[in-house]
Amino acid sequence: MNTVIILLITFPLVFLLSLLFEGIDRKVHARMQKRIGPPIIQPFYDFVKLFNKERIIPMTASSRIFTTVPIIAAAASILGASIPVASLIAGSNVGGDLIIILYLLTISPIMVMIGGSSSGNPYGAVGFSRKMTMLIAYEVPMLICILSVSVNYTSLAYYDIVLTQVKIGSLLALARPSMAAAAAAFVLCMPAYTETVPFDMSEAKTEIVHGSLVEYGGPYLGLVKLAKSASNFALSFLAVSLFFYTPALLERYFSPELGGAMLLCLVTTLIFMVFTMTVPRTIFARLKIGQAFKFYWLVPLTLSIISVALSILGL
Amino acid sequence: MTEKFDEVKEVKVDYTRLRVPLGPVHPALKEPISLTVTVRREEILDVVIRLGHVHRGIEALAETRNLIQTLYLVERICGICSHSHTTGFVQALEEIGEIELSDRSLHLRSLIFELERMQSHLFLIGIMAYEIGFDTLFMFTWYEREKILDLFEEITGNRIHHSMNTLGGVRWDLSPSFVEKVNCSLNKIEKSAKYIQEVFQDKTVEKRLCGVGVLDYDEARELCVVGPTARGSGVKVDIRKAYPYAAYSELKDDFSVVLRNTADAQARTQVRILELFESINLIRAILEKLPDGPIYKESVIKLMKKIPEGEATSLVEAPRGELLYFVRTNGKEGLWRLNVRTPTIPNVLGLKPMLIGSEIADIPVTVASIDPCMACANRITVVDQDKRETIVTDLKNLRNRGKKQ
Repeated sequence: MNTVIILLITFPLVFLLSLLFEGIDRKVHARMQKRIGPPIIQPFYDFVKLFNKERIIPMTASSRIFTTVPIIAAAASILGASIPVASLIAGSNVGGDLIIILYLLTISPIMVMIGGSSSGNPYGAVGFSRKMTMLIAYEVPMLICILSVSVNYTSLAYYDIVLTQVKIGSLLALARPSMAAAAAAFVLCMPAYTETVPFDMSEAKTEIVHGSLVEYGGPYLGLVKLAKSASNFALSFLAVSLFFYTPALLERYFSPELGGAMLLCLVTTLIFMVFTMTVPRTIFARLKIGQAFKFYWLVPLTLSIISVALSILGL
Repeated sequence: MTEKFDEVKEVKVDYTRLRVPLGPVHPALKEPISLTVTVRREEILDVVIRLGHVHRGIEALAETRNLIQTLYLVERICGICSHSHTTGFVQALEEIGEIELSDRSLHLRSLIFELERMQSHLFLIGIMAYEIGFDTLFMFTWYEREKILDLFEEITGNRIHHSMNTLGGVRWDLSPSFVEKVNCSLNKIEKSAKYIQEVFQDKTVEKRLCGVGVLDYDEARELCVVGPTARGSGVKVDIRKAYPYAAYSELKDDFSVVLRNTADAQARTQVRILELFESINLIRAILEKLPDGPIYKESVIKLMKKIPEGEATSLVEAPRGELLYFVRTNGKEGLWRLNVRTPTIPNVLGLKPMLIGSEIADIPVTVASIDPCMACANRITVVDQDKRETIVTDLKNLRNRGKKQ
């Protein structure tokens, strides 16, 4: 019974939090640029506005794929965000849920990509090819990081890793050198996953007019945007709870099931988001696809492989 | 003709090629131009450039108005270099009417000219930053540009179309207290221009700009590109030095022509940033030397009536490059012909050699780096593709065409 209630709370909670965090991100970004910026609840306004708009399906699009894909993307990313949040609240331990979370979080960008290429717009096609390249660039180091974690603690259960941090009373990123390397690689993959500026070539506004999103409008765009902000929130939350679970530092005061621990974790997520999304967005220019790919296979991939090697050595 | 259709043409479709239409409406382009780009993956194989989407018939309209009305009309050719256009036009008229100007008015003309150049360059530097996805720098440069627009507002009452020039002089004077204010603003702008220069040496910015849109020296000479686009390719052209107008013959030693040899987008941006400093120096020199005297001659209407039939060409160095005005008056306060050659016309031709061989990601940067001003570049000639004939229309024709459609 308890689990059902938690699940019922989690879905709306994730929906609200992801849009709220996006609003805060936009506000902080604006303040860094000497602008006033939109109100923090602007993403909610946008969402409501988009749902009141006309549904337009381009004539060249294959309409079934074009219309179903945003729904799948939004559902996948909200589910992907709910699993870590819910299992943290409920304290439930399911073996292998890390793989499911990563799977769901990858599904959402892939769906958006497919939707873009099904629109029949050449920009959608270019966006597809760029996003595919980027996906290969960041997904491999990201998965290797998780592999390294699971090798180290012989578990693929999300809650196990959180509990480990509480047990050792420290952040996972600080626990071992292998984990530090894994955390660094994971953090470097964040801007590419969230498609923020140095790595946003898959939807570069000035080059390919938002790539995959070019033909989307109305409720479909609303869903795609929701999918994006939910998956950004999900990945940040995952990264924070896996590598930087701050309540672990205060384990005397918080037991992991408590609301206080959850709150602290969310605040850390927000700070983490600001540093991995907003700050790069403010201080960098967009790279080219080749440069970004080179970077990902040179730095994060090397770091993640080092991390796995260290994990196997037991460091 | 029939033989041609009898042949069965074999159409080979190369599926590795993709034709990406860029424009007429595209977020990378601030004004409509149509570039049809053929790409293979990210590499650009061919570019077709088409102008003519924002044709406004200004030259034809000018022929129906008197000279003073036309002065305000040519100002509307461009929003960024409005002062260059009026200077070009008014200089031609003054040459026809043999009107001598006071030194003070010439200096004030140059002052507004340089302020406008700074405003335009800051505008473009911001656009460049925006095109490479560096929104913060874009916001910063435009914030600085506001200061210059504020100066314009205080001097002339207008921010964009300042209407400073008039026949035989300028319309507004500088008070001595205001000179200090300009100096104060200049110091602030110089400081932030230095900062902008530093930021443009940032690594991610350099990665996007270096080696992008290369137009080498020979090609630049061949295509006759002008302004910062030419100077970025190492071609030393500057009307202010070559054919000094306004007060530039007296200010010859106060500025130098900025040249860069790398011929890429970075070079063109660098030229513009360094020209900011040159302009600041020039404005300081102008404020120091500013002679006393009247700023205009007599009633403009009287002057206009005195202008005889004749023709003249005048050249000015607009922020984007050489701007040519050909004016032929009819001696009855009107014009037979007005012809404007804006700097974008030669510069836009440079896009093709710049783009071929580069990547899709470089298109916006390359297009922005020549600082195109499409509305200025679209001129009167109408080419009828079905009949394969070229007509120059007048306003009546244009109106009739409008009614028919």
